[in-house]
Amino acid sequence: MAEVLLDVRDLRVHFPTDDGLVRAVDGVSFTLERGRTLGIVGESGSGKSVTSLGIMGLHQGTRAQISGHIKLDGEELVGAPAARVRELRGSKMSMIFQDPLSSLHPYYTVGAQIAEAYLVHNKVSRQVARKHAVDMLGRVGIPTPATRVDDYPHQFSGGMRQRAMIAMALSCDPELLIADEPTTALDVTVQAQILDLIWDLQREYQSAVIIITHDLGVVAELSDDILVMYAGRMAEYGSAEDIFDSPGHPYTWGLLGSMPRLDEARLDRLIPIKGTPPSLINVPSGCPFHPRCQYAAETGGLSQTEVPEMRPVAPGHLVACHLTNDQRRAARSSAAHLEDA
Amino acid sequence: MITFIIRRLIATVFLLIVVSMITFAIFFLIPRLAGQNTYQLATEYVGRNPTRAAVLQVEAQLGLDHPLWLQYWNFLKGIVAGAHYNSGTTSTYCPPPCFGYSFRSQQPVWPQMVSDLPVTLSLAIGAAVIWLVAGVAIGVISALKRGTLFDRFSMGVALAGVSLPIFFTGLISLELFSYKWPLFPNVQYVSFLTNPYLWARNLVLPWICLAFLYAALYARLTRAGMLETMSEDYIRTARAKGLPERTVIFKHGLRAALTPIVTIFGMDLGLLLGGAIITEYTFSLHGLGLFTILAIQNQDLPEILGVTMLAAFFIVIANLVVDVLYAYVDPRVRH
Amino acid sequence: MRRRRTIVLPALAAAAALALAACGSSGGSSGGGSSSSAAAGFNAAVTKVVNPSSTKGGTISFGNSSAPDSTDPGNTYYAYMWNFVRLYTMPLMTYKSCPGACGLQVVPDLATGPGVVSDNGLTWTYHIQPDVKFEDGTTVTSQDVKYAVERTYDRGKFPLGPAYFPLLLAPQKPAYPGPYKDRSKNLMGLNAVQTPNATTIVFHLAHPFADFNYVVAIPQTAPVPPDKDTGANYQLHPMSTGPYKFQSYQLNKQLTLVPNTYWKASTDPNAKQLASKITMTMNMNANDIDNRLLAGDLSVDAAGTGVQAAARAKVLSSPSLKASSDDPLAGFTWFAALNTTLKPLNNIHCRMAVEYAASKTGYVDAYGGPVAGGAIATTVTPPNVVGHKTFDLYQGASMPGGNVAAAKQQLKLCGQPNGFTTGITYRSDRPKEVAAAQSLQASLARVGIKTSLHGFPTATYDSNFAGVPKYEAQHDIGISFYGWAADWPDGWGFFFYIVDGKAISPAGNTNLAQLNDPKVNDLLNKMALTNNDATRNSYTSQIDMQVMKDAAILPGVWAKSLLYRSPNLTNVYVQPYYGMYNYAVLGTK
Repeated sequence: MAEVLLDVRDLRVHFPTDDGLVRAVDGVSFTLERGRTLGIVGESGSGKSVTSLGIMGLHQGTRAQISGHIKLDGEELVGAPAARVRELRGSKMSMIFQDPLSSLHPYYTVGAQIAEAYLVHNKVSRQVARKHAVDMLGRVGIPTPATRVDDYPHQFSGGMRQRAMIAMALSCDPELLIADEPTTALDVTVQAQILDLIWDLQREYQSAVIIITHDLGVVAELSDDILVMYAGRMAEYGSAEDIFDSPGHPYTWGLLGSMPRLDEARLDRLIPIKGTPPSLINVPSGCPFHPRCQYAAETGGLSQTEVPEMRPVAPGHLVACHLTNDQRRAARSSAAHLEDA
Repeated sequence: MITFIIRRLIATVFLLIVVSMITFAIFFLIPRLAGQNTYQLATEYVGRNPTRAAVLQVEAQLGLDHPLWLQYWNFLKGIVAGAHYNSGTTSTYCPPPCFGYSFRSQQPVWPQMVSDLPVTLSLAIGAAVIWLVAGVAIGVISALKRGTLFDRFSMGVALAGVSLPIFFTGLISLELFSYKWPLFPNVQYVSFLTNPYLWARNLVLPWICLAFLYAALYARLTRAGMLETMSEDYIRTARAKGLPERTVIFKHGLRAALTPIVTIFGMDLGLLLGGAIITEYTFSLHGLGLFTILAIQNQDLPEILGVTMLAAFFIVIANLVVDVLYAYVDPRVRH
Repeated sequence: MRRRRTIVLPALAAAAALALAACGSSGGSSGGGSSSSAAAGFNAAVTKVVNPSSTKGGTISFGNSSAPDSTDPGNTYYAYMWNFVRLYTMPLMTYKSCPGACGLQVVPDLATGPGVVSDNGLTWTYHIQPDVKFEDGTTVTSQDVKYAVERTYDRGKFPLGPAYFPLLLAPQKPAYPGPYKDRSKNLMGLNAVQTPNATTIVFHLAHPFADFNYVVAIPQTAPVPPDKDTGANYQLHPMSTGPYKFQSYQLNKQLTLVPNTYWKASTDPNAKQLASKITMTMNMNANDIDNRLLAGDLSVDAAGTGVQAAARAKVLSSPSLKASSDDPLAGFTWFAALNTTLKPLNNIHCRMAVEYAASKTGYVDAYGGPVAGGAIATTVTPPNVVGHKTFDLYQGASMPGGNVAAAKQQLKLCGQPNGFTTGITYRSDRPKEVAAAQSLQASLARVGIKTSLHGFPTATYDSNFAGVPKYEAQHDIGISFYGWAADWPDGWGFFFYIVDGKAISPAGNTNLAQLNDPKVNDLLNKMALTNNDATRNSYTSQIDMQVMKDAAILPGVWAKSLLYRSPNLTNVYVQPYYGMYNYAVLGTK
């Protein structure tokens, strides 16, 4: 059994604003072992990016109020000195972002930026750093890396740029890689390549990976475990098989139902989830999903009043919902009939 | 990069020719369109009670009786190859660039402009250094400490600097620091070669007044630029790499925010080199700006042409330098 | 002829400077000089010499808000330059250096005595002092004076000075073109001037002209050595015969004079060589000049036309500063010429209506009030013209606000009982003139005379607009604002170009009233022919009276200049002809 690298316990990230307190992340807990991949899924505003930024310590200097625990390899990050967290950033844990064109500095060559990342954490000469940059570019599959290392970001294609970003993120051999929407800005064909790359690199470096996305297709490919977030809270957590074969939360059902699938019969039309994501300042009482949930009535008013805890519905599979397992099974099969009809 | 520069150089020469044509046309065509003929133009230079003979003499002396295209052609030739002026038995050679002779003083224009140039250069460059350093520094600090007392105060002062005209701040500073409490008595330009200490001391007041205006502008611009830059994605990436905050601010943030500032700086300096008119007038500094005012007041066409061309030259060169600099700094422009 | 005055850049500086005028004055707050040496008193320099001294040394610094039209004595027309050039030149005659009316006399300078008239007034002979030297040691000869006069004939090369010699001297055929075209023929080719020996010069006039002594007092007779003449470049270093010579001259920027070692005080009693350096800084901001003057950083405001509005407020409100200032007559009269050829102003009664209706207080106030602007003018000549008599035909002084009843009466007499319309021209770049025009417009409106205002820049006023009779006729211009100062302080010198019929010219006209009154023309003729000083000068007031009777001119202000007298200057007094301090005798403590 792989050891736990990242242990997040009851993480809360709140932003005080003039309009009120924004509860961007409100009680998220999970663990991640080395070599495993966690996919965090949710709509915009569900808190997935804020969680990952919180892990990286990138809320430092903002008004964010962070509470809870983030233990990276046993070391507590919440409340740790900023200098220590900065030391870890890029070396032990690193992150890649959605849009590689805007995420890379337009004035510096790709090689310089990669070397910079390396030089921050390693006392070596510039030549050595540069050589390392060339190596990394080769590792991520960029052809003729020795010449490409002196090119500027705008001289790369979208897919190549993202590879370069990945090269930069992995240059210090981090133990944790967080990929925030790594393929959203890319063509579909390129998406597959990037996901394959991440898969290969993970196996090579044995790093833990968190993939954040709203795209269930991406998650299905790569993740060992999946965390579904809603309104800053956890909705469901389980292995990829659990989530896809027997999803337990009505929100997850909605996500899956609104997603075209190859392994099921073709639907006439996709079924979106009714309503819009809630305000994070005035989160609905009780279960945050209840205004949009078609099963809320079945819980006898609990959904409106009581916040559901994450309860196991199967070993390693937790759902934050007031529905009983029977109600759940019934709801799923009627939905399935709906699909067959 | 080289081809880029060459292309721009050719465009520069072309631009200067166009400027010369337009200037020439403005000063010669428009009076014609307003009904003034060359006889009347010459009358202005003949003093009182002009006799017809005297006016015709002046007309010939000033070359006003030639057709327009010939005057322009002679003008262009003069700039490139110099000109010979015949007056009776004497013949004088006016070496290139020859901008002709002042109508009023009958002295060649170019040497006068050259002797005024160091004053304007001293004023412009000195002030430029001050405003660039002060403006950018204040702008960066304000951006980083956004919303604090420093930010609000400095932006308030900046607003004053941008709004107060130079002849106002100039006069106030003269009144206070030159006449009332003579910290800087007798503000008069002293050449750097003659006495560097006096050169600097006498320029302090004009430098500060001129720099105040621009520093304010640059502080606001830098602040806005920094705020925008610091919210860019690549700043987040830089932090994610674990870079120290100082490196993030300066190497990644300021570097990008400064690019438009550099462009504007080049243009501002180029414009100023043509003469900081109001500052020079307020402080009685004999630079190109004052030269311009006097040339216009006296309706001295060769002087007006000369100083317009020179100012245009500076602006066009500044434009060129800025373009090249920009291409050097921002690689995206090169391709 | 009309002397030119310096023009100050208005708007910009005025606006801001006025804002500062309030920050002024709490009693001698500006550093100006030690108030321990008791300031001699307001207007002290008008009647006596202030700080008489023969102490040598020091630097006198002149500040000039523009630049001289030329430092070449043959090519300048500014009053202050005619004053200043005596520091480095000696014309044949000059004005006596003494305060008060004494200074209006024209006395020999380079010459040994006034011209000897012969040949029924057609020949004037002068002898020059034999031992005056140029700054390089060469002795001045009569040919140098003749050459100087010859230069003024080349109006193309030297267009800026007056043109009296070509006008008054006997003509020759072909017309003398000046000494530059074909030097071999023209070097001493002016036949009207003869030099029988090295110290004698003889002028042959075309017609008798009794004022010729005044004409040779113009700096154009200052000797110029032909071999050192560099034409248009002579202004950069004229050969000095005065107490100082050019050390350096940066055109339009800075002039430095140092003592001329070959100058002898015994040959030139009208000038002094006291200071060891004299500088003139040009193109300075006018308000800056005033401030430096008051702070003691400058000695003299070269233009000599008075301080600007901001400094005026400071000086007048501070007793100690006021005690160091003078308010002399400038020699100018500001007036409005009434077009005698334009309907309905061609009817004398319509013109008289204008004379009565105008508010003199308004006119004077427009120019800055009684101290800074001047006194109400009731005659065309100001009091410092020789032969002036003060009279008041239209009650300008007794009813300074205008006499509406009398005006209306005159309107009836000219057949326009309800008034009429006409145009007013003025020089738009002179704020005081603008204000005066507006004031007149308001005054005339009271009696039904409706006027439209037309402003033009000074540079083209004479050449293209008001000075073009056809323009005035076409555009219905009945009233033209103007100003005049005498080229020499007697009646002919003041009047000829503004009221003589012969002076009317199709462009660059200065007789804006286009007056062609045979009585006036006749009197001016007589003046030119009468050699007896007393008789000649009596004509001045007669001409004045006739012009006023003709109501051809509406006199407005006898200009005064509020001058600040730096306490560090010695031998300071006002020379009434120039209307400013005598620059030739100044020294410094």
